[in-house]
Amino acid sequence: MASTQTSIDVVMPQMGVSVSEGTIVRWVKQEGERIEADETLLEISTDKVDTEVPSPASGVVTEILVPEGETVEVGTVLARIGGEGAAPAAPPAPEPATQPAADAAEASASEGQAPVAEPQAVAQQPAPTAEPAHSGNGKSFISPVVARIASEHGIDPSQVPGTGNGGRVTKRDIQAFIDSGASQAAPAQPEPAQAAPPPPAPVEAVAPAPPAPAPPAPAPAPVTAQAPTPAPASQEAAPPGLGETFEPMSAMRRGIAEHMRRSLDTSAHVTSAIEVDMSRVVQIREKLKKEFQSAYGVNPTYLAFIARAATETLRDYPWVNGELRGDKIVTRNYVNLGFAVELADGKGLIVPVVKNAETLNLLGMAKSIADIAKRARDKQLAPDDVAGGTFTITNPGGYGTFLGTPVISQPQAGILGTYAIVKRPSVITDENGTDAIAIRSMMNLTLTYDHRLVDGAYAGRFLRDLRERLQTWGESDY
Amino acid sequence: MALEAQLINLGTVDYREALDLQRTIAAGVADGSLPDTVLLLEHPPTITLGRRTEEGEVHVPDGAEVDVVEVDRGGKSTYHAPGQLVCYPILDLTRHGQDVKKYCRQLEEAIAQTLSAFSLEGATIEGLTGVWLQSPPRKIASIGIHLSKWVSTHGYALNVDLDPAPFTDWITACGLDGYAFTSMARELGRPVAVDEVRPVAAQTFAEVFGITFEERSPAGIARIPAFG
Repeated sequence: MASTQTSIDVVMPQMGVSVSEGTIVRWVKQEGERIEADETLLEISTDKVDTEVPSPASGVVTEILVPEGETVEVGTVLARIGGEGAAPAAPPAPEPATQPAADAAEASASEGQAPVAEPQAVAQQPAPTAEPAHSGNGKSFISPVVARIASEHGIDPSQVPGTGNGGRVTKRDIQAFIDSGASQAAPAQPEPAQAAPPPPAPVEAVAPAPPAPAPPAPAPAPVTAQAPTPAPASQEAAPPGLGETFEPMSAMRRGIAEHMRRSLDTSAHVTSAIEVDMSRVVQIREKLKKEFQSAYGVNPTYLAFIARAATETLRDYPWVNGELRGDKIVTRNYVNLGFAVELADGKGLIVPVVKNAETLNLLGMAKSIADIAKRARDKQLAPDDVAGGTFTITNPGGYGTFLGTPVISQPQAGILGTYAIVKRPSVITDENGTDAIAIRSMMNLTLTYDHRLVDGAYAGRFLRDLRERLQTWGESDY
Repeated sequence: MALEAQLINLGTVDYREALDLQRTIAAGVADGSLPDTVLLLEHPPTITLGRRTEEGEVHVPDGAEVDVVEVDRGGKSTYHAPGQLVCYPILDLTRHGQDVKKYCRQLEEAIAQTLSAFSLEGATIEGLTGVWLQSPPRKIASIGIHLSKWVSTHGYALNVDLDPAPFTDWITACGLDGYAFTSMARELGRPVAVDEVRPVAAQTFAEVFGITFEERSPAGIARIPAFG
């Protein structure tokens, strides 16, 4: 580590979900040369795509660490910009340079190309060379049609007996394979068919990924350290045993796996639960429903009520809405609320974000949630729609679950779980102090928080206040 | 809610001229002053050398009527000529998944769907980009892409109806020694006009990328700042 006063690392950018490495094609600037922020420093290539990598800062190229022609893992430090006057670009370059691409996208036929690097090995690792010298023969042809069907059904095409030329798997082969039930592993696939008016693979405009890592650009130190480490997924898996079926892991699934693991490795997860009497909200919702529907075409869901109440409560508990960034605690005067949305039947998870939730009333919240949820399912989210969340709500209660311990969406500090609302006998006390048993609509809420930042009592008070808001929701509270 | 993009049919354009145009448009797409733009065109006979073109790949016979141009795209050498539909999508890939691999696959898919409208089954070969017909492998379309600030230039070239001999005789196209190149006309056993393929290519592209095209005449380009 050359530690001049300010030395900024330039790392191999993340060029896609399943792109784990890149090759240095050309250094546009050499050691000792001056460079301005955003000016092209080098060019890299991946596949047949050449990409210009801009300098993340103005200064002097103090070190070039990887020579032309070499292929290295994403996140590898390629060069350092430093010397006198080295300063990070004012608005940190929007480029991929230092920041792991937040968005992934269901890359349908998940190319099995995420070759697993030791997280630490990020430093220097001159891998062989990009374009492996492919011999012309023995290539497995898979037509896009077959690839799409395979991915829709979660089938590894190599498991399908091929009758085409050279054992190639034809469309008929894969149909027959599915019809034969050999692929029974995938229980739930009615949807994709209609969900795919644009014929191609499950790709689509932009389907950003799971609770994407997206570490914040600013923090100077951890930037490179946080370079995404390829999922420790496919270590040489043992072949499928009797009765087992293999299916390929989609890029999104890999992204989720990596993120979940990393979150658990990062935050000290603790979950607290509280029971909320939702009777009032149920009542008010019944009243509002018709009005909201007819006037605005929007359903005032319970989630909207909870999101609204949570946003209010977060203002009083900035750490729950905060973040640990290096050795600093980040708090905010705004709330960007993420909502965990499941994509068709276990196909993946996406966390679109409602920005500045603190400016929304109940109607605005309901509308915003409906909008992002729809766009998430239609794969119409823009990368920006999944970035910048400060707190997340997950709602597994739709299936009747009454408790859970969700995983925090990094780098946030908390996630609220909402569960089924059920009618239960409940002891209530009337104004005369008399206890009675009444039928109430009850719901559990959980707050899973990062105990590094949020303590149990603080979390408890947050939940208490949130409950209070929900239980005393006023007719005129929007 | 598909994204809006503009489509421009340029006819036959000199390679360098088209390159300048791409760069101008790319600058506009990068700064948000232009929407995603797709150019469809043909080139006069031209050999282009990508960054990874190696010595010995080019062996043009003396007197051949062909331009040789070095370009800033990935990949190796290739050959363009009338009868080949060239598609240059200038897209802000941050709106399209921000993933180079995905982008390559989408281009391949668009080509394969175009071919399939003519009853040809395009396929991809693991480890090699471009789109192929099979048994034996014959390359029918090439792909080469350049990105700057996630804005793409260059794209694909689909052999509609041209003599594929120069791919192998004049150069070792794409660095692929011993591979055959073909065209739609050759496969279908009939002449195929680029005019016939172009609308299909536009449509499949729009479908694959989830965009709707507004077609602009080349004259519309004059309105692009710094051009003409």
